[in-house]
Amino acid sequence: MPATEIDFEREFEELVRELRAVPAAAPDSVRQRVRALGEPAPRRSLPVLPWRRSLLVLAPACALALVAAAVVHGVLNSGNNSTRAVVAGEASSGSAGAKRDTHFGALTTPVPGALRSPFVPPDPGRHQDYQAWMTLRVKDLDALTDQTNEAMRVAQSFGGYVVSLQQSTRSGQPGEADLTLRIPVARVEAALVRLSDLGTVLARQVSIVDLEQTLRQQRTRILRLKLFIARATEQLKGNLPADVRLRLQLQLQAVRQDLAAATRSNKSTLNRAALSTVSLTLTTQKTATPVEKSGGGRFERAARDAGSFLAGAGAVILFLLIVLSPVIVLVAACVLGLRTYRRREERRLLAT
Amino acid sequence: MKAVNAVTTSWAGLSVDRPSFASVVDAELDAVHRYLVFLTGNRAVAEDLTGETFEKAFRTWRRFDPRRGTARAWLCRIARSAALDHFRSEERRRRREERYAHGAPQVEELELGRSVLEAALAQLSPAEREVVALRVLLDLDGPTAARVLGISATACSTRLSRALKRLEEMMSDARD
Repeated sequence: MPATEIDFEREFEELVRELRAVPAAAPDSVRQRVRALGEPAPRRSLPVLPWRRSLLVLAPACALALVAAAVVHGVLNSGNNSTRAVVAGEASSGSAGAKRDTHFGALTTPVPGALRSPFVPPDPGRHQDYQAWMTLRVKDLDALTDQTNEAMRVAQSFGGYVVSLQQSTRSGQPGEADLTLRIPVARVEAALVRLSDLGTVLARQVSIVDLEQTLRQQRTRILRLKLFIARATEQLKGNLPADVRLRLQLQLQAVRQDLAAATRSNKSTLNRAALSTVSLTLTTQKTATPVEKSGGGRFERAARDAGSFLAGAGAVILFLLIVLSPVIVLVAACVLGLRTYRRREERRLLAT
Repeated sequence: MKAVNAVTTSWAGLSVDRPSFASVVDAELDAVHRYLVFLTGNRAVAEDLTGETFEKAFRTWRRFDPRRGTARAWLCRIARSAALDHFRSEERRRRREERYAHGAPQVEELELGRSVLEAALAQLSPAEREVVALRVLLDLDGPTAARVLGISATACSTRLSRALKRLEEMMSDARD
């Protein structure tokens, strides 16, 4: 018997006997009322676990479900990274001075067999500034020279021309050739496919900027200027005071200069739209771009993806805990307060 | 008398060997009634509350888990809750009456008062009477009674000892 237990049967033997003799059996009316309830209908339900036991079961189950989801996520995503490795290398290579503005659909997925163009084609119904960058690896310095010449021939064969060429071939060092080509937009896709056959494609990038709105604004401005010139010329044919005539003539002169500039600008925009810019880099370097850490075997990639998924899930859980912690504290305080109040009330009711 | 607190069901995975409600009624009706008589000090109130207790037990029968305690302890918890609700509503009623009756106190006459023992019991507080009922009459052991009362086993034992000593003193005074 614990030290706190009292052996009241022995200590208060007579009193206990008297207490047990107090008649307190339930009267028949109560007995009948209770028996009339019958038997509760059996309900098919899961046994009610105590909350502590439920927590012991649920917590590992949730953790297991999370790990399983992470594994599935990792396995499903690990198969796509061969494309990403090619994609990742693009940003570090390319011709000098070219603006890489991946404004529109930077890359398409390389298609096995290259039966169709991997490049995003220009829209034939719109004026667009089409720019492409490509990096190719060639076998050696001899191949570098041959392929550079071939690239220039390809540009010319498609109606284009070479804007610039920089080639460096030093013995014992990787060779590199940077070409900037202008090729008619209508034929640029075919030209790019042809150029990509000159070596092993290490990276490619396309930028398309729509010029329709720019051209529309330029045409509107040109029209407005021409309209002013026509009106002013008509006015000058009539009788005007000398000062008005002089002012109008000066305005006319300024507007004519503006018209010339606007026309030049419009022509330049149309030229940009007519000819695409292709920046081609040929290199003999074995590993042109470092492989991103997304390489490695499928299992490693799956494990890495699963880890990222778990880290993401952990971050979300932590965020929710931080956001909800004041609410949890408040609820706990309310529950505790309510429990304390009820206990005090019980003591008060049972003390009288 | 052996304390009735042993869990008599056995584990079979998650299945539970539950007694039928009717068998529990037959076994525990008098015990619950006795507890309520001691707790409330009023037989009429105890009868009502006994019926209420078993009605509540009937509605929540599927929540009773024999693995967590005996049917007697479970019913006593329900009975205690019903009794406390009764005390609360009685207190509210008394306050309303005091307000309208301009302070004339109403004294509830306890029915426990015929014999010396019953007169002495009437002098105890409900809290003291209920611990005596649970431990002495219903034979619940210390930890089970403490769980029903919502107090520690030590506090339960102390309360019982005090109550029995007071009872004994009052009875010896009355006999003298």
